[in-house]
Amino acid sequence: MTAGQRARRRRGLLLVAPALAVLLLLTGYPSLYVLWLSLQHRVPVFGIAEFAGLGHYAFLAQDPRFWSAVRTTGLFTVASVLLELGLGLLVALALQARPRGRRLGLSLLLLAWAMPAVVTAKLFEWLYHPSAGLVNVVLGGWALNWLGDPRLALPAVILSDVWRTMPFVAILAYARLLSIPAEVYEAAQMDGAGRLGTLRHVTLPLLRQIVMIAVLFRTLDAVRAFDIMYVLTGGGPANATETLTVYAYRSLFQMLQLGFGSAIGMIVFALVMTVAWAYLRLLRREGVVT
Amino acid sequence: MASRAVLLLLLAAGLALGGCVGESSAPGVTTLVFKHSRILGPSDPIPTLLRQFEAEHPGLRVKSESLPWTSDDQHQFYAINLEGGSPGFDVMMLDVIWVPEFARAGWLLDLTPRLAPGETDPHFPSAVAAATYDGRVWALPWNMNVGMLYFRTDLLGRYGFEPPKTWDELVRQVRHIRAAEGDPKLEGYLWQGKQYEGMVVNVLEAFWANGARLLGEDGHLFPQPEEAAEALAFLRSLIETRISPAWMTAADEELSRRAFGEGHAIFLRNWPYALNLFEAPDSPVRGKVGIAALPRHPEGDAGYGSTGGSHLGISRHTAHPEAALALVRFLTSERAQRAMVSGAALYPSRQAVYHDPELTRDHPRLPQIHGLMLAGRPRPVTPYYLVLSTTLQPEFSAVLVGLKPAQRAIREGRQRLEHFLGALL
Repeated sequence: MTAGQRARRRRGLLLVAPALAVLLLLTGYPSLYVLWLSLQHRVPVFGIAEFAGLGHYAFLAQDPRFWSAVRTTGLFTVASVLLELGLGLLVALALQARPRGRRLGLSLLLLAWAMPAVVTAKLFEWLYHPSAGLVNVVLGGWALNWLGDPRLALPAVILSDVWRTMPFVAILAYARLLSIPAEVYEAAQMDGAGRLGTLRHVTLPLLRQIVMIAVLFRTLDAVRAFDIMYVLTGGGPANATETLTVYAYRSLFQMLQLGFGSAIGMIVFALVMTVAWAYLRLLRREGVVT
Repeated sequence: MASRAVLLLLLAAGLALGGCVGESSAPGVTTLVFKHSRILGPSDPIPTLLRQFEAEHPGLRVKSESLPWTSDDQHQFYAINLEGGSPGFDVMMLDVIWVPEFARAGWLLDLTPRLAPGETDPHFPSAVAAATYDGRVWALPWNMNVGMLYFRTDLLGRYGFEPPKTWDELVRQVRHIRAAEGDPKLEGYLWQGKQYEGMVVNVLEAFWANGARLLGEDGHLFPQPEEAAEALAFLRSLIETRISPAWMTAADEELSRRAFGEGHAIFLRNWPYALNLFEAPDSPVRGKVGIAALPRHPEGDAGYGSTGGSHLGISRHTAHPEAALALVRFLTSERAQRAMVSGAALYPSRQAVYHDPELTRDHPRLPQIHGLMLAGRPRPVTPYYLVLSTTLQPEFSAVLVGLKPAQRAIREGRQRLEHFLGALL
């Protein structure tokens, strides 16, 4: 490194230092504080403030409600991300294949995407209504108790989340499709590739990177999802839709068990970090990020 | 979730800093901040009331600020701000179930030494009881709610039925009317069984009707476990026998209110707010809805509706306790409560208002609702009410959907509570 390079580097560090400091203050300090809180037994309302060590974590390890929340969070994440991905790609390909409906299609996608989760949840509460809801009307009046049956509630929540977030995948994929030059397709045609062949050997491989990024974002969001189930089902019936975030929210803000709630929060934090770390490794290996 | 906790910290930090700055207003003018939820109904009377208050109290200004939409979010807002010592507001609207909790946490100003003897007497005793903790009064009642039974006068009348006094009677009437009407869309009894606070209220009412309590006088949980389990099992049996539809396990106040309001049910349990909507000009059930006390079981002495409503309290951190108390007194006065009835369809906590001739002309059911409220019971008045409710919700819900026998849910709910509350119980 020459002296000039070193100086430039120093100047660069100096320039990002304030942003870095703010970032550390905003994320590092609170994270450590939550970690510290999770080791306390703190219930301000009752004037309780004592050291708990790993007590909350030990309790959670044998707490059936916690494990049920872990299971629900996992199911919700895997199912909603897979469905969003599949449907999103289909919609993007349909938009590419049928340019005529493009404008309307994009507007509808954006509308669903732009709606706040709480509004979506309220909307779906009516759609799922057993006797008056559109879903059962379309299904031919089988009065399925979507939100009141523990077996149906989680699928119902997943579907409403898919409806809301599928457009994100669709729009990302569609943008990528638009950037594929026409020559690529012409070349494939010249080589004698049929429609399916083109899809398999040209389109999908080109979509690969953008799909991986979409999966990363959507997985992180799904692990932290809160509003949709909180409004739609309140975590019920019989806790069938209570995810880790809902359990943490109830513990923190309704029961005001700051230590206990923080312990659940730390676990969600660790989960999110693990997912992000695994994906970044994968993306790096695939050359999506350097 | 970590991010929410982070938010809490940031807010607390921000508020602590903001607190040093203090209020900037014209010299000699004190500004009070009044936090309340948005007022629904025909026309919001609050702005007019506040201007009247300012006119009568020169030197005082009131800034009225809306709280978040849902009760849960409001609780969260107060918890974060008050725990952070925020001086951001003086007078606050409180859900009745929060008062003991906030008092215990040291967030509310103790009103006891400031109140005149007998000052709370004109209010419903159960509303005053709900604001009394540790023998002291922490808030003044503002408006009142009570769970009650709505019924279709046309349907009951057609078969010569009186509103049911007992649950058995209600079940018999539902069976008879539905068989005779032959309308497959007509439901029997609608209530609230979604996993949320509203369900806990329904379960408590079922307990009381069967002579059971959630919290005994001595602070014991489920002092009558048999009767409590019986009551819970009864709610489940309503669904099993189709007296209530299966979707009760997903229903809140609005979902059930709408189905009844569209004419699809014979009976409904709800709060008084629904009455105005049923009597609205375009309502399909207009003129066909009666109200009564909730039924009881033969063993229980009476059916009790749970009371609810809101209170006005003063923040411990206020810089103007006297002015804040003047505002609370004004807003809970008879004059203000009368304005609330006509403008916002909120029911007063002062008993005299229910017999005001001017008001009863436009609202002829006021005296009847007064009777129902007088017989209402508050939910357990304890600082850990939300812990009780949040912990028991999944247990009760599991019974209602048929996943757990009632006795087991009561037993396991008690075990969990003992873990959380341990030494406090």
